[in-house]
Amino acid sequence: MRHISKAFPGVQALKDVSLTAYGSEVHMLVGQNGAGKSTLIKILCGAYRPNQGEFLVHGKPVHIESTRDARRLGIAVIFQEFSLVPYLDIAQNIFLGREFPGRVPCTIDRGRLHSEARRILDLLGMDADTRTKAHRLGVAQQQMVEIAKALSQDARVLVMDEPTAAISDREIETLFQIVRKLRGEGIAIIYISHRMREVFEIGDRITVLRDGANVASLRPSETTLDELVRLMVGREVDTTYRTRFCEQPGETVLDVKALDTKSGIRGASLTVRSGEIVGLAGLVGAGRTELVRAVFGADTVIRGEIVLKGRNLNGSPAEAVTLGMGLVPENRKTEGLALMCSVHDNMLAAGLRQLFPHGWYTFTKARKAVEGLIQRLRVVTTSARRPARLLSGGNQQKVVIGKWLNAGSKVFIFDEPTRGIDVGAKAEIYKVMERLVAEGAAVLVISSELPELVAVCDRAYVLRNKAVVGELSRKDLTEENILRMAMQHG
Amino acid sequence: MASLARVPGVAFLLVALGIVFSIFAHGFATLSNLLNIGIQSSTLLLLALPMTFIIMTEGLDLSMGAVLGLTGVILASVLVAGNSLIAAFGAALGVGLAFGIANGLFVVKLGLPPFVTTLGTLGIAQGMALVLTGGESVAGIGPALPKLYASKWAGIPFSILVALSMYAVFHFLLYYTRFGNYVFAIGGNREALVLAGVPAGVFHVSVYALAGLMAGFAALLLTGRMNSGHPTAAMGMEFDAIAAVIVGGTERQRGNGWLPGTVLGVLAVGVLRNGLNVMALPSSLQVASIGLLLIAALLIDSIRRIKP
Repeated sequence: MRHISKAFPGVQALKDVSLTAYGSEVHMLVGQNGAGKSTLIKILCGAYRPNQGEFLVHGKPVHIESTRDARRLGIAVIFQEFSLVPYLDIAQNIFLGREFPGRVPCTIDRGRLHSEARRILDLLGMDADTRTKAHRLGVAQQQMVEIAKALSQDARVLVMDEPTAAISDREIETLFQIVRKLRGEGIAIIYISHRMREVFEIGDRITVLRDGANVASLRPSETTLDELVRLMVGREVDTTYRTRFCEQPGETVLDVKALDTKSGIRGASLTVRSGEIVGLAGLVGAGRTELVRAVFGADTVIRGEIVLKGRNLNGSPAEAVTLGMGLVPENRKTEGLALMCSVHDNMLAAGLRQLFPHGWYTFTKARKAVEGLIQRLRVVTTSARRPARLLSGGNQQKVVIGKWLNAGSKVFIFDEPTRGIDVGAKAEIYKVMERLVAEGAAVLVISSELPELVAVCDRAYVLRNKAVVGELSRKDLTEENILRMAMQHG
Repeated sequence: MASLARVPGVAFLLVALGIVFSIFAHGFATLSNLLNIGIQSSTLLLLALPMTFIIMTEGLDLSMGAVLGLTGVILASVLVAGNSLIAAFGAALGVGLAFGIANGLFVVKLGLPPFVTTLGTLGIAQGMALVLTGGESVAGIGPALPKLYASKWAGIPFSILVALSMYAVFHFLLYYTRFGNYVFAIGGNREALVLAGVPAGVFHVSVYALAGLMAGFAALLLTGRMNSGHPTAAMGMEFDAIAAVIVGGTERQRGNGWLPGTVLGVLAVGVLRNGLNVMALPSSLQVASIGLLLIAALLIDSIRRIKP
């Protein structure tokens, strides 16, 4: 791929990126969240079309305009979400859409289907019965079937998107053996990973992406972990967001002790004090959202304690809200707002009982409360009756915050608060957070944007593999430190 | 006991119903009555077979009962006009197929929710049937159909024979053909099918078309049994069909379908209706009891899933 550029409305996702995959090589593709790895892969497999750039196969220019084109050229991608049909068996899944016709029209030559599937599974050293239905397979086995599917299509370029994210160490060993075997067969492998250990263990070549551009292409033997991390972060830290940091935090308002949850969080502990903005960092899939969902009472807790202002939470969002916790969710349009309803109605959605303790709704009181919130948060809207869907992203976010302010929340959890809103609005959101903590509230913020965390937080916890692996105080809070903790070492 | 764990809940229900009715419903456990259950169930099976495919693909067809009513009326009217049985049957199949294709196109190509779409076509089919007949039965269909319906082969009544052979056709379709594979795939992971370069939409529409066609086919049995066409004869039969499919263990998610289970579900509905009939309970109670059957079967399966 050469000089690939891709712009989405409002974002330049890729700028002049080139990537060359060589046969018999494992090419590692690394970069932070949002560096453009996924976009690049989607372009390679034909799911997106680039605005600019060209594809060459064996030196000859080709067109990839659909997934079918990519397949024809021998490019196969194994995404993290598998494309298996749960109630078809292994053989049927491998040859889905390419069944061998049987003697009777429209039927399938089952004998051949299973013998061909067997042949490919043997190649991979997988001894499962080809008649096993896909829904009975574990993640690692499903992955093998995906690889088998790619091989059955004579793939020459195999792209694997974080193949080790969901499988155990032993299965990783098996996977690596297969990757090496495939490399031995002359197949070019593009391997996306967040785990530095893997990069050095099986990579033959490394390409680093940052902010949608190539920053380096190097050999594992010629580089070090520290250099890679530096290349991935790379920019000067912009600290214009926040001016005053919290020097003397107040009392602990939220105390999470050794939390295990059904969603997989293991032994997570953290504290948030009033007047503090605390960050939760980690790569995609590290368990940040799961952790805050559990804290909010939306996910089942197996073990551990959640103490909010000295009171134990027993795990329901209603209880968390009553005790003063407010969640500003990642998907504000689906989880945070009733889009068709007005700003007024949205802002009052969570705090009716606090506003009208006797159960009598009075319109003047409601209007005053909403007007107060609009002024306090500087929500830009023509009127309080305007439907929330017509507001800009930043203003929508403020409406969600207003909802919790009205409910008397003292602990705010922000999940990716600035996703999909423009730079100016981001700064506004940070100012709102700053004002909240200045008034004695406590804020817990999840963000995938490291510069954002570094610029906004007083303290941060880093998650990896569904566990809290470290805590960074203000002076140690740098992008490099976060990345180093968030990725698996040596 | 491991093998017992694989027996679906509906099988236990069927046995339980059989025992209860044998004890309490006098005249239930006779050969002629059991044969009667088979005859009564055969029309339902013709609807429940394609309904299984539709539910597997995360869809629903509420119009089947009404389309069956309409095609029954058409079949009878064409016969009354003095045409051959083949012409009448062809007309019923054609109208059924047209409704099925329309349902499919609305759902697949326009992306309308199956529930709303087929509720709409239900209304259209029912309205057409009432307009065509003025709400009256269409009688005087001549001797050809009653003669065919009364025929037996090796002692097996015609309708049961039709139901058995249709089961064989659907079983073959689902488990031995590409089409069957794709039905599993449309419900289980449509994206995978599209990525494999298969025109998933065509197969998806075909599933609905098949349902319409089978409603037309079932008109042959319904009209034969009643010796006339009646516009509201099959009203609510889609409810029985959906209940039979769900009771039989087909899931609306992930494309998990089980055709033998549908047969068991149809039999459970048939036994329940027949047993209550024999006990001379009012028909309104039958509808309620099928609702109970549905909930009971789902309950048994979910309890067994929690405690394997």
